[in-house]
Amino acid sequence: MNLYEMKKNTRCFIEGVPNNQLLSIFGIRPGCEICVLTRQPFHGPIVVKHKHRNIAIDKHFALNIDVRLVN
Amino acid sequence: MDCHVEYDGKFDHKNAVLLIGNPNVGKSVIFSKLTGIHVMSSNYAGTTVQLMTGKMEANKAKVPVVDLPGTYSLQANSEAEMVAVNILNQGGRVIVCVLDATNLARDLMLARELEKFQVPIVYALNLVDVAERKGISIDSKELGRLLHAPVIETVATKNIGIPQLKESIAYFYHASIDSSERLDSSFKTLHDESIDEIVNQVETISTVKQTWIDRIGEAMLRPIPGVPIAMFVLALSLGIVVGGGKALRSLLLLPIVNDFYVPNITALVERFLSEGALQNILVGEFGVLVKGIEWPFALILPYVLLFYFVLSFLEDSGYLPRLAVLVDGLLRKVGLPGHNIVPFIMGYGCAVPAILGTRASTSYKERLILTCLISIGVPCTAQTGAFIALLGDQSILALLFIFILSFGVIIFAGTMLNRWVPGRAEPVIIDVPSLLVPNFSSFMKKIWIRLKHFLLEAEIPMMLGIILAALIFETALIHLLGSWLEPLMVHWLGLPKEASITLLLGIIRRELAVMPLLEMNLSVLQLIVGSVVALFYLPCISVFIVLVKEFKLKVAIYLFLATTTLALLFGGLIHQIGRFVLFLLER
Repeated sequence: MNLYEMKKNTRCFIEGVPNNQLLSIFGIRPGCEICVLTRQPFHGPIVVKHKHRNIAIDKHFALNIDVRLVN
Repeated sequence: MDCHVEYDGKFDHKNAVLLIGNPNVGKSVIFSKLTGIHVMSSNYAGTTVQLMTGKMEANKAKVPVVDLPGTYSLQANSEAEMVAVNILNQGGRVIVCVLDATNLARDLMLARELEKFQVPIVYALNLVDVAERKGISIDSKELGRLLHAPVIETVATKNIGIPQLKESIAYFYHASIDSSERLDSSFKTLHDESIDEIVNQVETISTVKQTWIDRIGEAMLRPIPGVPIAMFVLALSLGIVVGGGKALRSLLLLPIVNDFYVPNITALVERFLSEGALQNILVGEFGVLVKGIEWPFALILPYVLLFYFVLSFLEDSGYLPRLAVLVDGLLRKVGLPGHNIVPFIMGYGCAVPAILGTRASTSYKERLILTCLISIGVPCTAQTGAFIALLGDQSILALLFIFILSFGVIIFAGTMLNRWVPGRAEPVIIDVPSLLVPNFSSFMKKIWIRLKHFLLEAEIPMMLGIILAALIFETALIHLLGSWLEPLMVHWLGLPKEASITLLLGIIRRELAVMPLLEMNLSVLQLIVGSVVALFYLPCISVFIVLVKEFKLKVAIYLFLATTTLALLFGGLIHQIGRFVLFLLER
């Protein structure tokens, strides 16, 4: 499943990311754990908490980020 | 102290200290502390979009310092980043890389890229106070050992660590260093995992209870309560600017100007000059000593001051990136990713820094659309003050109508431009900074810089405009101008002939397209028409010059023609429709 499908307040592990330097810069890499903080209306970004930062990820990126739910 | 030292192309950056870092890590504050030049800084990415230069003292010598635009990487994704990369490619004596202690892993990626330039690096580990609040502690000595370079802990806003940073820069600047030894270090060949390893070795995270400000910061990102909070912030901002400005104007500034200054200056001039043209130019209907003080200081300044108060607070608190996240979905309908809300809001202050701010946009399409929207339908703060002075006392509904119309045109123009301009809005990631209580001293300095800038930029052209108006009225040129423009001004727009002066003065400054209407005893319909024409009328000279510089003369001329056509078309339509409605009502 992809990141954009995640509901808010769910925790997940990143399994695969598209080849994009911005994602890597912000630490969105396979293996890292994130928490979905909010989803924005009108196809807006999805805001995740990664370590102690809040990062808004564009829908186009989020659709291509594979994730696995944390049990 | 100079507050606006832009790169002039002649600066010796090969012998300079180059200040670089990710966006919003406090680079500009460090630049201010090193050089004594106060530059604008804000709590969001992309404040520095142009090179700033200054000098710092290092071992009793004056050393040049360049503040490069913030960049996440050296891949040059935006125009501002391209500037940083170009300068780095040309070399420097010392690189000061500013690291955000709350975001070490991200910032080390840029640090790693800097190694290839074979220039000694000093690291400033900034925002250690915010990191501490979040339970993050970094062993800076160990970090320095792993990076093979000094790492100085700083809290730039409080001057903590700045003397040590200066010492370190001075040492590396003057010492002859064999940088090749350092570049041969293992760090150069590290991969992402290795950066993680460095972070794991130096960073300790302890669980701390989320502070109330962090909780509010997160709540502002959720549609509920984020959207109602955004509406409240907008209403409060409007209340402060419009209500506060009106109170300041009528209770303090107008009485000082009208009851004290004007009678005295008029009496003084009349004592030395007999009735005639010169007396009229000085203290007549458009007397430069009367209107040149009343318009900018009593009518415009209160709104400008309060607008900058609100804008600076929103910038320094870190609220704007939260707003950018909330409006991203909506703004994309007009081809703009959400982060463009920042230069857009700045446009309500002045279009010049707003257009320069579009350099942080990641595509030409974004830059062009945003620039067009700011030029077409966003009134600057001085013009907003003029609208309030003109319409506020006559009809609040008319004032509201002007802003609703402006907003409607912006949405329509944005939608059309999104279809017409080729390309697409790039997907972005917004790094949402911590919500902060603004540092009082930086906040006040920022308002002062902006106010000083406004007074210097606005007062001289406004005086010149008023002298021009006085001369035109005195020499009866107004009748000639009025006759030439009669079909347009009188028949199409329904304004008196003398209102032709606004089209001339509006080229100099946008508020001058409004202020002369105050003196003409117009009906509410005429006030609305005059305001609509002024709102959409061509951008002032300063904006035109920036448009030519940032884009091409062709773009500036297209915008010139589009805005003028729009202004006259809308103004005329409103007059004709208004006249028809009034005719029906009277029957």
